[in-house]
Amino acid sequence: MDNALDAWFVREILVHEAALVQFLRRSWPQADDVHDLRQEVYVRVYEAAAKALPQQPKSFLFATTRHLMTDRLRRGRVVSIEPAGDFESLNVLVDEVSPEHRLGARQILKRLAEALDRLPERCREIVWLRRVEELPQKEVAARLGISEKAVEKQIAKGMRLLAEHYHGHPKQDGAGAGTRRETGIRDRETR
Amino acid sequence: MSEGSRQIEHEAAAWLARRDSGDWSAADAKALDAWLAASTARKVAFLRLETAWLQSGRLKALGAGLATGELPDRGRWTQNLFDLRATQTHDETSQAATRDNAPDIAGAIAGARTRALRAQGGRAWLAAAALAVAAISLAWTWQRHERVEPLAYRTAIGDLRSIALADGSAATLSSDSAIDVALSLRERHIDLTRGEAYFDVAKDAARPFAVQAGDDRIVAVGTRFAVRRDGDDVRVVVTEGTVRLESAPVDGRSQPVTLLPAGSTALANRSGVLVRAGSAIDAERALDWRRGYLVFLDTPLAVAVAEFNRYNARPLVIGDATAAQLRVGGSFRWSNADMFAKLLEQALPVRAEREAERIVLYSR
Repeated sequence: MDNALDAWFVREILVHEAALVQFLRRSWPQADDVHDLRQEVYVRVYEAAAKALPQQPKSFLFATTRHLMTDRLRRGRVVSIEPAGDFESLNVLVDEVSPEHRLGARQILKRLAEALDRLPERCREIVWLRRVEELPQKEVAARLGISEKAVEKQIAKGMRLLAEHYHGHPKQDGAGAGTRRETGIRDRETR
Repeated sequence: MSEGSRQIEHEAAAWLARRDSGDWSAADAKALDAWLAASTARKVAFLRLETAWLQSGRLKALGAGLATGELPDRGRWTQNLFDLRATQTHDETSQAATRDNAPDIAGAIAGARTRALRAQGGRAWLAAAALAVAAISLAWTWQRHERVEPLAYRTAIGDLRSIALADGSAATLSSDSAIDVALSLRERHIDLTRGEAYFDVAKDAARPFAVQAGDDRIVAVGTRFAVRRDGDDVRVVVTEGTVRLESAPVDGRSQPVTLLPAGSTALANRSGVLVRAGSAIDAERALDWRRGYLVFLDTPLAVAVAEFNRYNARPLVIGDATAAQLRVGGSFRWSNADMFAKLLEQALPVRAEREAERIVLYSR
């Protein structure tokens, strides 16, 4: 991360990925599109922020998301069976979905540990050797008797899967949808 | 977009993994820069993966105490490391105790944090390791002391949340609700500050489970019940076992303690306590919100609408007095107020006007 815009993007936008994805899943009929929509939202936000940083990043993120969905519906790329297009009314709901929270280091570690445990066996083993035992990829390959290319491939896979859980951190241990992670005393009080 | 988002993500991961391989020249760096500069989509995909990968350096902390090459079983962390709940003690005695007994740990934490911050990235694990130590010392103080800082949980409108409490009990928070949980050696204290919550209490005779709702207090040992706040009204529904309701004094006179068996519903407010006995099935039905449903039985529309509005940000509004008197029955998904309005239009002399921020129901 080499500049202020990137840092801003990570700090103010990526932290809302779970809420964003949940919003997209709720509002958009095709689950397959969520990955693509997510990326396009990020692109729009990043490009707008390059011109001027939004004062209220989270509201801006969700406003951008609604506009994007509306645009796509207009362009007719999606045939919806829902009485679609009423994204404005979801606004309030979504805005409260996840109160901003900065995670403590211990919670970050917990989330990473869960992410690690969700990796496929080989991938998990390789990420463990690379990240926990801090072996260079070359040594990981030697240890496991596989090619360096194969290790690199597994690392790339691990990066994608870790990011998915780290940013998206799906619900906690099987509790129902809509479960929030523990935020403890930092939760904002709404009155 | 010429490339799909998944393809871009795969390419970004491939670049990152290659950079991580150590086999990385100036020419490679230049090629990566060119790749990134070609589109914002690549840039954000890369940034997103890079952020998570940098953070994953903290995983180093998990290796503490393990022989090298030993890959632990899945789920090992969640069972030990993290089950030491974040129960922080704040009263002076416990802080004094921490100081007396663990000065070195505290010093090490501060030191490790500063160093790790300075060293960044690769050394971030030090901070994580120090935090693991901090967690252990906190758990230790929790064991020894009674007063604990509560953990706060809340839900937004339209959300339910299941919470596993450290004593083995479970709580289900209804929409737009909040509880503070403080588990000490003497008492399991829950403060319902807003909304409604259902509790499945783990048996522990030595540690009563008390829910404070305003001035009322509901005490259980091992049972299942729900408590709800609506202004000054507190409603208690018991589905299993018995709970004790200690209601607030009325006009300065203390109220007798009420024992509520399974199936009963108690309504406590300024004018006293009203208990309605019923079957456990009736009681369960009043708590169908946990499964996503609201159940009405010959209920005035005004009351049904108020229930719906607990779960929806876009409220239903009664347009006239005639509509308010209509009676409704049935089982409805609380997440879909719009569908409810449609059903009403079909079944009752009601007309719904859908506005951006609300749905108004008029009689016709």
